[in-house]
Amino acid sequence: MASSIALESHHQQQPLPLVKRALGLVPGLLLLAAVGYAGKFIERTIAVYGKSHHLTLPNIEYVLWAILIGLAIANTVGVPEIFRAGLATYEFWLKAGIVLLGARFLLGDVVKLGGVSLVLVAIEIAVSLTFMTYLGRAFGLKPKLTTLLAVGSSICGVSAIIATQGAIDADEEDSSFAIAAILTLGAISLFIFPLVGHWLHLSDLSYGLWAGLGIDNTAEVTAAGALYSDAAAKVAVLAKTTRNAMIGFVVLGYAIYWARKEGTERVGSKAAFLWEKFPKFVLGFLLISALATAAVFSKPQLTSLANLSRWAFLLTFAGVGLRTNVREMWKQGARPFLVGAAGEIVIAFLTLGLVYGAFLFLH
Amino acid sequence: MTTEKEIRGGAKKSRGAKFSLDAWAVTLALVVSLLVWIGWIKQVPW
Repeated sequence: MASSIALESHHQQQPLPLVKRALGLVPGLLLLAAVGYAGKFIERTIAVYGKSHHLTLPNIEYVLWAILIGLAIANTVGVPEIFRAGLATYEFWLKAGIVLLGARFLLGDVVKLGGVSLVLVAIEIAVSLTFMTYLGRAFGLKPKLTTLLAVGSSICGVSAIIATQGAIDADEEDSSFAIAAILTLGAISLFIFPLVGHWLHLSDLSYGLWAGLGIDNTAEVTAAGALYSDAAAKVAVLAKTTRNAMIGFVVLGYAIYWARKEGTERVGSKAAFLWEKFPKFVLGFLLISALATAAVFSKPQLTSLANLSRWAFLLTFAGVGLRTNVREMWKQGARPFLVGAAGEIVIAFLTLGLVYGAFLFLH
Repeated sequence: MTTEKEIRGGAKKSRGAKFSLDAWAVTLALVVSLLVWIGWIKQVPW
């Protein structure tokens, strides 16, 4: 009896690892929520102040406020260790938000727009991979670092780099360089794309397609779309999701290329490899879109799902700012960044040309 | 870089875990959609 009591009290003193891990997420999650909501609060306060004082104030979206507050915290006081685990969940909220965003798409629109995106994505990937490979060689970068940069800038940023690193057995250092370059460039694109879009008077559809094709990381694409307009964000996420769906094919291609080059056998079943690398949230997005198309949800329910998606993105936008440490990024070295930057500029022009071309062709 | 370590850590964990980050995100979204559909979540304001 005494021993069982002792055992019970021992169990009570040591919380379950799952509970402990869940509790460890709480501070970071609260910080994400606080920063995101602060962005929303500032946007609303400015609008109310302008209205009550009959002033025409610039409408700066909550997205920008949340990112700026996050950037300010991360680059001044820094983010203490206790918040880190919770902050890392921003990618989880991004994916859950994309699945719920499916409620705002009719499946016919997904097929139509996804079809256009697919053609543009195929051209973008082929040209980007070729150009980045050429650029990496011209700058004398290591071949595997060049591969990582090429995959990161042509498909989907950090996820693609991590998937490729494992598949081609690249050095940790190489992928650190590539990730730093892609994250830095993504953060810069996030601010430049909306400015250029407004300057060129792009429609929501054109801009959304351009952002979805030209910006690397899904979180930055979503934020850059939302900074332009709600409609542009929808299109940007769909175009980016199409790009994400290609990740398995490109990583498989590189895995086979490097395995042959190094005389090793790394790739087993190609179908299993493709399934492992395929982003499953794309399937969730299509399922919710199909249910919305089949009128499973009523109109108020669709509005609720769309709003839940917005709340999930709010946490993501806060995370984008909070994870960006400018000083740490600069420390990673100039050459990979220069190659990445040169590539990004060319890809931005290329994708803009593709979008213009697609609209000329379709009209 | 902290962010990379976190991302890497997450990626390594998810490789070993039965459920990937994607699968958890899809599960949460589907459960929430189900709760909205059956009326447990009535109205979500923005």
